[in-house]
Amino acid sequence: MKTTFVKTVIVFIVINLLTACGGQAKTDSNTTKLILGAYTTPREAYGELIPIFAAQWKEKNGQEVTFEESYLGSGAQSRAIIEGFEADITALSLDGDVQKIADAGLITHDWHTLPHNGMVSTSIVAFAVRKGNPKNIHDWADLAQPGLEILTPDPKTSGGARWNILALYGAALRGQVKGVAANDEAAATEFLKSVLKNVTVFDKGARESITNFEAGTGDVAISYENEVLVGKQTGQDYELVIPTSTILIENPVSVVDEYVDKHGTREAAEAFVQFLFTKEAQEVFAKHGLRSLDTEVAAATQDQYPAVTDLFTIGDQFKGWEEATPKYFGDDGIYTKAIVEVQQ
Amino acid sequence: MTTVAQPTTEVNASTPRPESIRSVSVWRRRLLIGVVVAYAALLILAPLTALVSGAFAKGIGASLTALRDPAVFSAFRLTLYIAFITVAIHALFGTTLAWVLVRYRFRGRWLLNGVIDLPFAVSPVVVGYMLLLLFGRTGVLAPVLEALNMKVAFAVPGMILATLFVTLPFMAREVMPVLESFGAEQEHAAATLGASGWQTFWMVTFPALRWGFIYGVILTFARALGEFGAVLVVGGGIQGRTETLTLFIYRALDERQYVGAYSAALVLGLLSLVLVVGTELLRKREK
Amino acid sequence: MTSITPPLTTQEPPRRAPWGRWGIQSAAWTYVTLLLLIPLTVIFQDGLKGGLGTLWQSISMPIAWSALRLTLWTSALMAVINAIMGTLTAYVLVRYKFPGKSLLNAIVDLPLAIPTLVTGVMLVVLYGPQSFIGAWLKDQMDWRIIFAPPGIILALLFVNFPFVVRAVQPVLQSLDLESEEAAATLGAGSATIFWRVTLPALWLPIASGALLSFARAIGEFGAIVIVAGNIPLRSQTAAVYVFGEVESANRQGASAMSIVMLSLAFAMVLLVDWLRKRGRKDTEE
Repeated sequence: MKTTFVKTVIVFIVINLLTACGGQAKTDSNTTKLILGAYTTPREAYGELIPIFAAQWKEKNGQEVTFEESYLGSGAQSRAIIEGFEADITALSLDGDVQKIADAGLITHDWHTLPHNGMVSTSIVAFAVRKGNPKNIHDWADLAQPGLEILTPDPKTSGGARWNILALYGAALRGQVKGVAANDEAAATEFLKSVLKNVTVFDKGARESITNFEAGTGDVAISYENEVLVGKQTGQDYELVIPTSTILIENPVSVVDEYVDKHGTREAAEAFVQFLFTKEAQEVFAKHGLRSLDTEVAAATQDQYPAVTDLFTIGDQFKGWEEATPKYFGDDGIYTKAIVEVQQ
Repeated sequence: MTTVAQPTTEVNASTPRPESIRSVSVWRRRLLIGVVVAYAALLILAPLTALVSGAFAKGIGASLTALRDPAVFSAFRLTLYIAFITVAIHALFGTTLAWVLVRYRFRGRWLLNGVIDLPFAVSPVVVGYMLLLLFGRTGVLAPVLEALNMKVAFAVPGMILATLFVTLPFMAREVMPVLESFGAEQEHAAATLGASGWQTFWMVTFPALRWGFIYGVILTFARALGEFGAVLVVGGGIQGRTETLTLFIYRALDERQYVGAYSAALVLGLLSLVLVVGTELLRKREK
Repeated sequence: MTSITPPLTTQEPPRRAPWGRWGIQSAAWTYVTLLLLIPLTVIFQDGLKGGLGTLWQSISMPIAWSALRLTLWTSALMAVINAIMGTLTAYVLVRYKFPGKSLLNAIVDLPLAIPTLVTGVMLVVLYGPQSFIGAWLKDQMDWRIIFAPPGIILALLFVNFPFVVRAVQPVLQSLDLESEEAAATLGAGSATIFWRVTLPALWLPIASGALLSFARAIGEFGAIVIVAGNIPLRSQTAAVYVFGEVESANRQGASAMSIVMLSLAFAMVLLVDWLRKRGRKDTEE
């Protein structure tokens, strides 16, 4: 009895080793494999884009291209790539996370030379509220009302969470939050604390946060506009509320030089990145709730995306992620201190 | 008052007791059983029922369709692959370890004995993190891996190592008590009759260990099936490459594929439960 | 064996070649070293790189310290509840007969079979703020289970249910009933018998089962990350804190907390082993 069991086990293992459960991505003349490491939110968009690209690539080069995809919180994904996840292409939520990969020496070119400064899609920070907006949430100031339950992801792991914090803070600094004086950091920090006080759950990524909201937790979720729109597309009946002032979320994409050279997939990877900026791809992004930077597509989808009264960028307000990350999220960062002070 | 008051155990329910005392004991017994059953029902059974109803929320057909997703197949295959390898390695080395700990006396025996229980108490996140510290791109063994052109982190070998770590105690802990109670006398006898060490082990010791060994294998396997935290941290959950069934469930929840997620969870749970309970039943029947 | 055994009697089988024994022992040590000791050493080395002072600094940061405290008190409370309910469950399973008993016995094993991630998800579905029970508790008594410490304790109770039960069951089963019968003949009621005769005989398995579940609870991740809320200083446990630190590439924080958790785990495990050994000694006497 035991010997047959042992024999079966050995046979099983040998079969599996032979059929190879995922070996290294080496290209041969007929197939190539691309590995994509992205943040959680554009999952559906890439799900649609990848087959389109694969078909085009096959037609042009006669080669099959398969993809391995991973979707994690932007910060978590960036960390994974630095730790050894050999992604050929990375599409993250914020430029700062791509910069981290470049700082680790894995990206050696300047991805900002791509169209639109390397930003493949944009969105804005907005709120998802329950149907009928029972708590009357229309703007940032409403989030501080006592007893409200807010969902937002954890800034430690989620890029979306960092956009949320900066959108809030930026709006406060710009005097767009009722009751908070403009250009007053102390007042803005107090406002941040009063909102943080109402946070009920810190999910790991933006997608987890919105699905948690869907499951019935909380009164409002601060999220990407596109996350809310995708949710509505799947039939969720929550409502989108756009505050008067909010930040433009710009999502970068880049080829990871170290790994494409290691895998020999540079040509295909660069073609994929180029493809993402074509009108066709941009239309797909727009279909999935993302605001396109392509002027034609943006004009065509204008009705879906209401204009924001006061839209600012990380460049305008915060001098870019190089300044913002340590200032707000570093060990002595404004957010880092605020989240502790709120609970004490 | 009657002369003898009996305890309320089944074993000694022979002497008749006065009605009043009997009814109190009966009610106390019923209360105790009721409390325990209610606790088990609320704590364990209720969530399980929620799982089953979630899996079949759109009917059994939808559930089966969800399970036919190729991603489910490849995730399940990876889970089984990792589990089988883990079991094979632990079957060999875990038994060896148990043998060494029971039959030999040496310095550091207490330490070895204590250390093998550690994985019970180590957080899966810490396990994954330790492996990243060793095998990550900036890890201690990175140059070695580079030279050998091997991938451990964010690849299957890393996940196997993680699973090996968390399942280490099971084999040894199941075999050791059996080995202890078996005693070395028969082995000595066989040796004096001319049997080599190996022959003694296979023909004398191992048959006696059978149930400890099988139980160890089953527990290791069941635990390996359900591993989540460690393989998430060290593997990264890459679709098509390092996604086990538990990681598939995690992803399916993210993608709002609730029926698929719950159905896969049900499959995993049932498989483990059948293994564990089935082994217990077989063992009882053997006795 | 009726034949005469040769006069040479040794502790170990006489025919074993010395290199064979050495081979087996080194195989065992290599196995444990490679799988266990090396990873553990690496993390201790990483966390203690800056000396104990730096480690203390990382741990005493409010977020870390609070996560550790939350983990310890929820795990301890769970261990106490588990000890009580586990003992009662074992008692009921061993001493009584009732319909559904074998179902109850199988249910005890269930938590071992369900992946912890799934446990978390199910508890949120059942007791979360949108569920029947969760919503009622929130409206009526402003109690929140899920995304708050009670949810953590609930998840821990689920996952660790088998440990006390299965530790106590065999001991209870093999308990000599003579003392209990003697006490009964002397006029003791069943409650007295339970408290003064049965329970004292069980304290070792209860303690070792409770300690084991405590040790496991400290490191619990899969269920907690779904159920707890993960708000720093409010509902974030040590394991989830480590996860956050790892994911945001903060090695110092991750290693420091991991070392603390590992040290606690090791201490618990040694204690449980010692208790088990005592238990075996007691039954041999």
